[in-house]
Amino acid sequence: MTARRFWRIYSGYLFLVPYAVLFCAFLALPLGYGLVLSFFRWEMLSPAPPQFVGVDNYAEAFQSDYFRNALWATFRFTLMAAPLTVGMALLIALGVNAVSDKRRAFYRAAYFAPAVVSISVAGLVWRFFFQGEFGMFNAWLEPWGWRVPWLTDTRLAMKSIVFMTLWWTVGGPMVVLLAGLHQIPRQLYEAAAIDGANAWRRFRHITIPQLRPVLLFVAIMNIIGSFQVFGQVFMITRGGPEQSTRVLVQYIYETAFTHYRMGYGAAMSWLLFLCIAFFSVLQFRLMRER
Amino acid sequence: MITDYSTTRLRGVALCIVCTALLCVGCDSGGRATVRFWCGFTGPDGRTMLRMIQAFNEENPDARALMQRMDWGTYYNKLFVAGLGGRAPEVFITHVENMERFFQAGFLDAIDDLVDGAAGVDTDDFFPYVWGAVERDGLHYGLPLDVHPQGLFYNKRLFREAGIVDEAGDALPPTDRESFMDALTTLTRDTTGDGRTDQWGFVFTWLRTNMATVTRQFGSTYFTPDFDRCVLTDDATVAAFSFCADLIQRGLVPSPEHFDAWIGFRQGRVAMAFEGIYMLADLEKQSDLEWGAAPLPVLGDRPAAWASSHVMCLRAGLDPETRAAAWRLMRFLSDNMLDWAEGGQVPARHSQIDSARFQNMYAQAAFARQMDYIAYMPPVPFIFEFFSEFDRAAERVLRASASAVDALREAEQKVNVAIERQRRLTEAGGGP
Repeated sequence: MTARRFWRIYSGYLFLVPYAVLFCAFLALPLGYGLVLSFFRWEMLSPAPPQFVGVDNYAEAFQSDYFRNALWATFRFTLMAAPLTVGMALLIALGVNAVSDKRRAFYRAAYFAPAVVSISVAGLVWRFFFQGEFGMFNAWLEPWGWRVPWLTDTRLAMKSIVFMTLWWTVGGPMVVLLAGLHQIPRQLYEAAAIDGANAWRRFRHITIPQLRPVLLFVAIMNIIGSFQVFGQVFMITRGGPEQSTRVLVQYIYETAFTHYRMGYGAAMSWLLFLCIAFFSVLQFRLMRER
Repeated sequence: MITDYSTTRLRGVALCIVCTALLCVGCDSGGRATVRFWCGFTGPDGRTMLRMIQAFNEENPDARALMQRMDWGTYYNKLFVAGLGGRAPEVFITHVENMERFFQAGFLDAIDDLVDGAAGVDTDDFFPYVWGAVERDGLHYGLPLDVHPQGLFYNKRLFREAGIVDEAGDALPPTDRESFMDALTTLTRDTTGDGRTDQWGFVFTWLRTNMATVTRQFGSTYFTPDFDRCVLTDDATVAAFSFCADLIQRGLVPSPEHFDAWIGFRQGRVAMAFEGIYMLADLEKQSDLEWGAAPLPVLGDRPAAWASSHVMCLRAGLDPETRAAAWRLMRFLSDNMLDWAEGGQVPARHSQIDSARFQNMYAQAAFARQMDYIAYMPPVPFIFEFFSEFDRAAERVLRASASAVDALREAEQKVNVAIERQRRLTEAGGGP
């Protein structure tokens, strides 16, 4: 093999090396380490060395009502946030796509802007918006004699967080969907219009099928992101009231870094990982068919 | 041309490296012992502490203290992880109730030889309760910096308007349950006549510390004397929780659900609140509020006031020279406690509390009158588990989503599970 040929074949790998190193050091290895850890009882507070306990940590998770509550809170968040975000992003993308080229850049930037704000800042500001006594939302509602317990009612707190999340994250999927809409050949719409298809039918039979791969991508990314929700909750409610918004990642964080129960924390992390994997595969299947 | 450019660039980079190296060498020159000092004083107290550290560095040319501040919310995580990795700072602050876990993990060094040494301190000067709290097996593992007790903040104007005054016409804060209930029923009212209460006699602020004070006043101990089991379903704790829930039920106190308590006090819509002395900074900034400070009224059958202390701890395993410098810093901070007290703290030493300068600090001196019956949270290694459960029970009971007995029983069970786990682990691994 000549040197030139060698390089042509293997130079690609050379470009992969930097990321491969990072991937191994910060993802693959910790992932494997976490899996091993999840079968050990290791409590940092105790001088006792880590001790192999089999599936005890997993068993504890399934028996714990705190784990169940946290899992349920995560599901509730995902069930509300993911469809709403994708749906809203699609609506906005359609709207922005319909305006003239010159204005489009402005709207795209405007809707994307919140995503640029860091979660700590966004969380802090929205906590003030939601604040019961002097918050902005309740100040607006005051003339009608309403005072909404945005964050203090166990039934409402999670919805408030979903609302905030929608504002914060809708821009990302919107930009991706907008790019997807651009890819759809104009001729398809023209042909359909000539055949007499109305706007709804053009949307239903051209836009949606053509957009399917992009929608799939956006939906999966959103579901994965929703399962991992933490920042908003931690900044706005700290899991309250009465732990109604304590999501799984927060519970894992508290278990590992407040109670220093590393093995149990690792086991719950793997359960969360399996959840995310399951739903991602399921969704992939559902949207790939037909 | 291209070569010229890159040579120049290379030279620049080399120069930078040399400069950085020189700077680093400069840091360590002079043989000064470096004492890293970690704390969570990120508020106005941090500025005071920084001034004290600067003063220490000026007075001690052979030592250099470096303060690092981080938010209390994540402080302990970072400290603990640093300790595990052997990178803990030489001196660090812990709250007295969190000391136990650092002690159990073996991070702390006993300071008794330093206390008794040539540059020691008179331990009789410390309040026995405070000095006793840092003792483990006859040795002391930290030097208490301060005490921050809870006390009664009250709105003088609202008291005067309601006619709750002494002979001189000054607002008269309640001292026992009877006068507290009288004040409460008079002060909680609907001032606008729209059928909604808009002025409250009392609010629960931070549920954990508020409930800690009330339960202690009713006689709760939370644990069996040897900390073997958690006891929250005893008569005292149930009675204390029920008493508080009843105040809300009767409409005398707002439910924590619908009211931002401390803000309400600052807005002048609340007459009384139990808060820590550290809230002083908030109030001093406010000129339009006529507030007063007094010892807490006794709602149960004995006086008690929730309190905590910042304790300066020394990392185990320091070389003698660094250890001596670290001790000098700890002593310096303890000796200059009155500067620190200005910001809203009570000193841990009799001589400092008795000083004229301290007695002139209005709120601090008022809260310091409770020093004989301050109550720390229990020194248990599973304190964070206890806090989670205690907080949750308080929230559920005061929001009326569970009865006192039910909520406390559940909390008790959960804490006991944590204790049991700890015990099994200790037995299995031959722990401390």
